[in-house]
Amino acid sequence: MTAVREPVTGGYVYVPYAGHEYRVFYEEAGEGIPLVCLHTAGTDSREWRHQLNDSDINGNFRVIALDLPRHGKSIPPIGFEKEDYRLTGKFYSEFVMAFCEALELDRPVIMGSSMGGNICLHLALNFEEKVRALIAIEACEYSPGWYISWLAHPHVHGGEACATSVFGLMAPQSPDEYRWETWWYYSQGGPGVFKGDLYFYSVDHDFRGLSEKITGNVPIYLMTGVYDFACTPEMTAETGKKIKGSETIIMEDIGHFPMCENPETFKRFLMPVLEKIQAGAREPVGAGAGS
Amino acid sequence: MAEFDSHWMNAWQDVVNADPGFKVVGTHFTADFLLGFGEREYVVSVREGHVERITDELSIETPWSFALRAPEESWEKFTQKLPPPMYNDIWAMAHPLHGRLQMDGDVKVLWQNMRALMWMLDRMREVPERELVEERATRV
Repeated sequence: MTAVREPVTGGYVYVPYAGHEYRVFYEEAGEGIPLVCLHTAGTDSREWRHQLNDSDINGNFRVIALDLPRHGKSIPPIGFEKEDYRLTGKFYSEFVMAFCEALELDRPVIMGSSMGGNICLHLALNFEEKVRALIAIEACEYSPGWYISWLAHPHVHGGEACATSVFGLMAPQSPDEYRWETWWYYSQGGPGVFKGDLYFYSVDHDFRGLSEKITGNVPIYLMTGVYDFACTPEMTAETGKKIKGSETIIMEDIGHFPMCENPETFKRFLMPVLEKIQAGAREPVGAGAGS
Repeated sequence: MAEFDSHWMNAWQDVVNADPGFKVVGTHFTADFLLGFGEREYVVSVREGHVERITDELSIETPWSFALRAPEESWEKFTQKLPPPMYNDIWAMAHPLHGRLQMDGDVKVLWQNMRALMWMLDRMREVPERELVEERATRV
């Protein structure tokens, strides 16, 4: 019997940042334009397994999905046990760029969802010369309300609570198997990691007054599902209006985790974006485009 | 359309108690909580994954730990077979601009039992049609 194997390979790279040597796990597949995929809060790179395996994507892009420190197979920095973990936009954006530098990626496309979408705004503002395009999924300039103490509390099962609190962010149209797989990823985060990530998502990330400062030199695509109640389509569209050169894409029948809750539906919206990036298209198209 | 009267609540209780998944996820779920559908309020008593009692006779004899109260229109959307955006989940409904669901009381109990609680609330979409519900005796 022939084994069924995926084209995805895993690797470890050491990323020096702020005095630490971070041992970072990543998965990759394909060749072409580097496409770095950022997972959502409290989870890891497994969220991107469908896109990593999709020959329509990895045929033209070198798809790379990393685990941030403390997530998945990337271990926390020495001394983590004494810290109240709170992710910041400064660490997150600089670390993603340090990872790209460690892999010697030439002006990668960065695609992220939720907090990975929000960080795209920081990358657009501070690292525009180092990126080719940004795909900000479920992103907006300010998404308050999710820094919740119960997510890291000794009287509450962290895995169950973190996973179940996000379950309803997925659309009822998304297949049960993928929704529960996403639940599973969420149930496996380290204690306090989801909450610490949400410090960035809901507190530290506040781009009100900054969205307008993004130059528009880098194409930025804002893609949001209609079932996302954390970052609603309205919130994304409002942000999109403020970002020069952006394109807002509202996705029907999908929620906050497009890449893993319903990869087939997500692909219908993603492929035209990837094709534009390949073509080097710079002109925003469609409703909700920024000025 | 769900009316959230005693017939409907009893039918929901039966659906939850017959659900094999709830027996698994609810094994340790023991709590009394209040559900408010507009003006109608019930206390639901769950014991180790079994809905033991639902009552609308609220008094000092029916204490509850936490409460979920929302306008009837919000629950109507929540209980649809395919709930619309912003009404498919209690956290979505808690959004002040949308479902206006209020959570009160000892929410720690809610957080401790969230999977079982949400599992049983999701079963509201499986309550049979009105005619079938009315055939059954009222227990509330």
